[in-house]
Amino acid sequence: MTVFDNTMSLGIEVPIDKIERELRQLWEVDDARTNASLINLAVYSEAKGALAENSDVIREITREHACRALLIGLDNDIKETSVRAWITAHCHLAHGQKSVCCEQIAFQLTGHSRGLFRNTIFAHLQSDLPLIFWWQGNLSDMFNESLYRRIDRLVIDSSDWDEVGRQFTEINEAISLVNLVVQDLAWTRTYHFRLAIASLYDDLIASKSLIHVSKVKIIANPKHFTSGLQLLAWFAEMSGWKRTQDLISDQGDLGSYRFSNKEGNIIDTELMLEKGSAPIGKIEVISDGVTICVSREAGGKHLHHQLNCGEHVIDIHGPADSDSSEELLADQLSRGGKNSLFKKILPVFFGMLEQ
Amino acid sequence: MFRLLMSNPFREDLVSRSRPEACTVVIFGATGDLTHRKLIPALYNLAIDGELPPGVKIIGFARREKSDEVFREGLKELNREVSRNGHDEEIWNDFENAVEYHQSEFQDSDGYSRLADRLDAIDADRGGKGNRLFYIASAPEYFDDILEHLKAAGLNESKDGCWSRVIVEKPFGTDLPSAQHLNEVVNQTFEEKDTYRIDHYLGKETAQNIMVLRFANAIFEPLWNSKYIKQVQITCSEHLGMEGGRGGYYDKAGALRDMVQNHLLQLLSLVAMEPPTDLSADGVRDEKVKVIRSLRQWDTPELVAENVVRAQYSEGHVHGNSVVGYREEDRVDPESMTETYVALRCMVDTWRWSGVPFYIRMGKRLPKKATEISVHFRSAPNVLFNATPGETDEGNVLVIRIQPDEGISLRMVSKLPGTTLRLEPVKMDFHYSTSFGKGSPEAYERLLLDSMAGDATLFARRDEVEEAWKFIDHIHRAWHQNDTGQEPEMAEFVAGSWGPEAADALLEKDGNTWRRL
Repeated sequence: MTVFDNTMSLGIEVPIDKIERELRQLWEVDDARTNASLINLAVYSEAKGALAENSDVIREITREHACRALLIGLDNDIKETSVRAWITAHCHLAHGQKSVCCEQIAFQLTGHSRGLFRNTIFAHLQSDLPLIFWWQGNLSDMFNESLYRRIDRLVIDSSDWDEVGRQFTEINEAISLVNLVVQDLAWTRTYHFRLAIASLYDDLIASKSLIHVSKVKIIANPKHFTSGLQLLAWFAEMSGWKRTQDLISDQGDLGSYRFSNKEGNIIDTELMLEKGSAPIGKIEVISDGVTICVSREAGGKHLHHQLNCGEHVIDIHGPADSDSSEELLADQLSRGGKNSLFKKILPVFFGMLEQ
Repeated sequence: MFRLLMSNPFREDLVSRSRPEACTVVIFGATGDLTHRKLIPALYNLAIDGELPPGVKIIGFARREKSDEVFREGLKELNREVSRNGHDEEIWNDFENAVEYHQSEFQDSDGYSRLADRLDAIDADRGGKGNRLFYIASAPEYFDDILEHLKAAGLNESKDGCWSRVIVEKPFGTDLPSAQHLNEVVNQTFEEKDTYRIDHYLGKETAQNIMVLRFANAIFEPLWNSKYIKQVQITCSEHLGMEGGRGGYYDKAGALRDMVQNHLLQLLSLVAMEPPTDLSADGVRDEKVKVIRSLRQWDTPELVAENVVRAQYSEGHVHGNSVVGYREEDRVDPESMTETYVALRCMVDTWRWSGVPFYIRMGKRLPKKATEISVHFRSAPNVLFNATPGETDEGNVLVIRIQPDEGISLRMVSKLPGTTLRLEPVKMDFHYSTSFGKGSPEAYERLLLDSMAGDATLFARRDEVEEAWKFIDHIHRAWHQNDTGQEPEMAEFVAGSWGPEAADALLEKDGNTWRRL
């Protein structure tokens, strides 16, 4: 199915040069609604049928994040250059009282559309509001400097990528060139694991055991290999560890990395990939007499936090991150910030990725 | 306010505030409404958001006989109804395992000894970390007893690098002498740095945003003075009356002591304060207390009559329902002289605010529920568009809505479309709910977390409370203890209206009117 078969959810088709006028008319017919917008949220995809699917995603996201949404679909199979546009609004009752609406403009591009893409999209941003650009799927040649220079925050999901190394090289280049703020949903997927680890290390005994950590083991789903690696990079970076030499494993799906801490102690870490696991299935940190473990069952809504130190035990449940990309994006938008922690762990992450 | 402790390296960037530490929370008055509706749901929501430190234990201390199970069941039942994040059975099960009930009279020494033993056992189980947070949510008449018994049982002492803190609910005294007495008792038991006087208004998102609005935006601060601001109004209106038996408490308190002394003077101080040197608790509170100290004292009956209006509501209609007058309310003295409405004209005698009146009004049985601060700017010069008198008499107004529908709006003047020059006020409006769909944490969530983190910024300090009582006491004395028998009049207004005419007259003297909400 292509987007052309399913445009119902995209709203009214409008001529490109009359988009703003048609949007104004949309509001003139009903003054009982509030038009709200705090960000420009562009969603770009080259997948077939993505435009209609993303319209449903935006309907959910606008429950919590008022935005002007710009959906962009590119069909590379059609050689003729063309662009079509649709407008609609997503309305929700705010606290049961007021209907709050967010505008959506959807563009379907075909053919060689690089120039068309930039000019069409950027002409319809709401002025003074930041542009959050959610790039879905693999980075293509449409991802270039003239695009990312104009983006305030780029959202990607590296778990969707085929060639992770190559694409992170492009991301790294963009960060170096324009100090791009990047939010990888693979990183967002680790949020509650990081929060759980942080809160377990609030414990005095756990805190004292950190310098004696000898082993860290992470289990991740193969699709979410980058989430597992980012979690490991975060743990190592925050602990102040440095990479030494890597262990070579005879198991094909096992990533092993060796670090040393400030005291010169060696820490061996493993990233194990298991089909059927939750995106992150487990992180286990072993020190002298103290084991910290945060785990999640596939499809589970909770994380299991455990600290074992002889008689001193913590065993509780906490919230888990969502498995859905739109909910992760909504969470990420709620947290805001410049994602400086992600930037901080990137050198360690890239180092392990190159292995 | 935004201090970050770095002893746990994994906390970096996860939360931009002080780190809460594991502790045992002991709630006195654990069978009351506050515990069931606010405190436990707040702690549970912190747990569900992953913000509650692991190892936190909760002990409910109250007089009634109850088992742990019955206590937990009651908490769970209400949590299902009121929890902001809904009720997740799995997380609740872990959460309720950390909740215990401790039966004791507040005056029973033995009850406190048993509590001490119980806390020691919990500390041992936790691995020696003996942080304790005592939350006094009981009726005020028990405050002294509880504090004195805590001291006698040695529970006020911090051991081995741990801390022992106390949170005291309002009312913090009923006048200056009683507040001073309570402060003495508290400070004989806990050091001031370990004392957290809660004012839940300060935990509200919009109240916290006042400082951000003023000091993080370059456009406001240059205008934030008597040169550009003509008047400030703080309104707290409630449509409710004395439902649910509140009359008994309210008739002893009144609007002035129940709301103005704490919540509304706190808001006033946030609006009027100078920029603090830093965001530390004392940095902020030093500046707030200077404002309260700078309030011109209405210290004679004549000054009180000139600057303060009190009133009671009479029979009327609210939200389409007919309601009785205050003196006919349940548990209210039929000859009560307690005010259900108060309007004040305050003057902050500082360089910045010289000559700018701050009007405060608070009332029950007003047309709707709303707490707002409006900053009214002076009009533009009387030339060009303002040359015709009356053409643009409505100046710019910045409104900070504290509750409900939290947000900020700015009124300005615009030309009406058309061939003639007609000017009309228009409003730019920012709503938290439409811009940020995610609900804000409840004030108690933020405040409980801050107290576990040792951040007292959003709590009232001893001198703030006492200075506020000093200001309020003059008014209260003039109303109730005037030897001349010439007490300022108790006005009356119809329930469902915006208050008595005398309150309008209070502003008319300055050429101002109350903002219409």
